[in-house]
Amino acid sequence: MASRDLSESPAPQPAPLAWQVVIADTLTARGVTVAAYVPDTRLQPILSRLADNGVCLRSLTREEECVGYAAGQRIAGQRPVVLMQSSGLGNALNAIGSLAVPYHLGLPLVVSMRGTLGEANPSQVPLGRAASSLLGTLGIQSFSVRSAAAAEQVTTGVTTLAFEAGECAAAILEPELGGGREGN
Amino acid sequence: MKATDVALAIVDTYPGALCVSSLGTATSALRAASDDGPHFYLGAAMGSALAAALGVAEAVPDRLVIALLGDGELLMGAGTLWSVSAYRPGNLITVVLSDGVYGITGGQQISGQTRFAAVAEALGGIAGARVRSEEALRAALRDLGRPSLIEAELSERAWPGPSPFVDPARVRLAFAANAAGDIR
Repeated sequence: MASRDLSESPAPQPAPLAWQVVIADTLTARGVTVAAYVPDTRLQPILSRLADNGVCLRSLTREEECVGYAAGQRIAGQRPVVLMQSSGLGNALNAIGSLAVPYHLGLPLVVSMRGTLGEANPSQVPLGRAASSLLGTLGIQSFSVRSAAAAEQVTTGVTTLAFEAGECAAAILEPELGGGREGN
Repeated sequence: MKATDVALAIVDTYPGALCVSSLGTATSALRAASDDGPHFYLGAAMGSALAAALGVAEAVPDRLVIALLGDGELLMGAGTLWSVSAYRPGNLITVVLSDGVYGITGGQQISGQTRFAAVAEALGGIAGARVRSEEALRAALRDLGRPSLIEAELSERAWPGPSPFVDPARVRLAFAANAAGDIR
């Protein structure tokens, strides 16, 4: 097996789109201190902007771990955000339903959608189609972002629900936003 | 050495530490040993306790954080060992109750060898030890560099006593006050 050449320079990052900047800057303005995530193409510019804003980034091994980590941050008084692709929501459900929700640890979730409008990969479709319903069944409200104009309002609203009302809430990054899903 | 002996060694050695316990035996043992102290007792979310402890440790870096985990629990959330190795919080001790069985579900055998201390050492940045006596446990708690992982081999399986079915609201409020420094 060929080993990875770690001296290689990383691929150049695409310039962030307006909605990605707005989401990152709004999370920062709302006092978010740390972002726990599993990588995704459309989330990457948000994460880079958060890092530029001084927010700590934690790339973890699994979405469930991100929720557990954020639960620990939240119960200790900090303001975390969890970012994931919709395909990872299935991985996160136990930690959401058995920890974040019953302990009333309001966590803001940012979910980058796969499996919906324009999806070419059939394996992505079932979880993408079910994402908002799965969250709703656990009592978590989700709010779609389809334009840069909606990004600030939804991000502010989701963080208010999480940090002030103590309720988990999700911003759903719909395909219409663009930003380079894998394979597109 | 029983589970409660392990938890007693932890609270005796570090009475001011913030502890996070996984569901089942670990939560019952920590409740028994600390007289239901203001710790983060998980009632479910199997596999997420170390992630939660990592979140707490990074949220309050001036406090010592101790994760008390079942071995089946850590097996389910073992990916977090890679995250602990990556981020290396100097205020986190992980103690595993190692008896080779899933306790809360009736004592079914864990498949294979866990070898968590050896895995932690192999990952790098985590000091590992496997201990078979209370004296060795107390020495490891005191002397190992951090982050550390101590695998405490249990010689006796005995249910600690208190219910592992905690009240999440009460746990959250008490732990939040503890983490904020309102309880020492």
